[in-house]
Amino acid sequence: MVQALRRVLLTFFFLSISTSNIFASASDASEAGEEPVIDVMGTVADHDYFKTPLGKIYLPRIFYWENANGESSVSFFSSTKKALASDEFIESEEGAIVPAGGGSIKIDFSITSHLLYYWFGMGLAVLLTVAAAKRYNKGVGRDVEPKGTFQNIFEVLFLFIRDDVARENIDHHKADKYVPFLFTMFMGISFMNLFGLLPWGATATADLTVTATLAAVTFVITQFSGTKDYWAHVFWFPGVPTWVRAILTPVEILGLFTKPFALAIRLFANMLSGKIMIIAILGLVFIFADLFGSVAGYGVGIFSVSLTVVLYALKVFVALLQAYIFTLLSAVFIGMAAEDHDHAEEEYYTEHIAE
Amino acid sequence: MGLLAAGIGAGIVALGAGIGIGMIGKSATESIARQPEASGDIRGAMILTAAFIEGVALLGAVICILLALGIGS
Repeated sequence: MVQALRRVLLTFFFLSISTSNIFASASDASEAGEEPVIDVMGTVADHDYFKTPLGKIYLPRIFYWENANGESSVSFFSSTKKALASDEFIESEEGAIVPAGGGSIKIDFSITSHLLYYWFGMGLAVLLTVAAAKRYNKGVGRDVEPKGTFQNIFEVLFLFIRDDVARENIDHHKADKYVPFLFTMFMGISFMNLFGLLPWGATATADLTVTATLAAVTFVITQFSGTKDYWAHVFWFPGVPTWVRAILTPVEILGLFTKPFALAIRLFANMLSGKIMIIAILGLVFIFADLFGSVAGYGVGIFSVSLTVVLYALKVFVALLQAYIFTLLSAVFIGMAAEDHDHAEEEYYTEHIAE
Repeated sequence: MGLLAAGIGAGIVALGAGIGIGMIGKSATESIARQPEASGDIRGAMILTAAFIEGVALLGAVICILLALGIGS
């Protein structure tokens, strides 16, 4: 107890030293005439650099662009600074990069921080899965019991996706075909969400382009696994009068696209709002310090920092929950498309009631 | 004006999502109390339905953020 108390006091002491340094640098900035600003959107936006504990690493820029004469070419630069130094590109007034002699950038293939974290998340998912698959190939887990923490946790997760997500929502004889896709999605999105909780990390899933890509994959797989019945329900709904079909068909076609759209927006907005919420609550410290002096700032700081700690724990839960929900809804949509219908009821209706 | 709209919008979004998730929680706890052995299935259905409501609510929240930041005006 005494030891724990001493540790807390020591931590507080070190924290107060480091915060006074931050305050000192902030006051330096304000003396120099610059307003210290908390850039809320800057922390969630995509960047051309990758933050590490040691500093920023600038990422390559690749442009497919067209000059004023209409000739298109591909340019590769190791960083944004190199691109601006090469005389081919200049920075426009809005801060975007444009070709120096007129023309425009057709496609920006630049590697950004969110793309890098997308690769990290998916790469880690692949690495873990391949490592586990090697162990199963050797016979560990098949002939004998699974060994070690890694394989046991892996097996729990995999069985959860296979039994509670895939087989629960997709027809039983088709479900196992979709388990690899669903498991990749679950692991990849979990890792991407959790990487965002690292102090210098970026949340790839707090970017609409990333979530839209993931949802587009689900959309394509859903359409390709659609049965005849599924398409019949979309274009020529069985068992209803013809004039009702004039309303139902547009609605059903719209429904094809709203499902993955909602999937993308849900993941994106959850991750974005979690990040903004933490910045907003920490920002209260500076708002109160600005309004009522630095003592009020310290006082509010105690509450906001402890609230942020609780929120961080909640964000770990939300990160896994959102990955689960994305996977579950993907499975539900695929299951709806791949379902084999029982026609007994419809035939009864058309034969006996419709006349 | 955008800030005012964003504030009012965020309030209404929270109101709607609160009512929706509250109703799910109410019926889920009632059904678990009535049939405790089905609590696993009910919890799954609860999370799924809550996710649908959350999706709509967060769509509203994103529009509020866009309004507050003045994007698109």
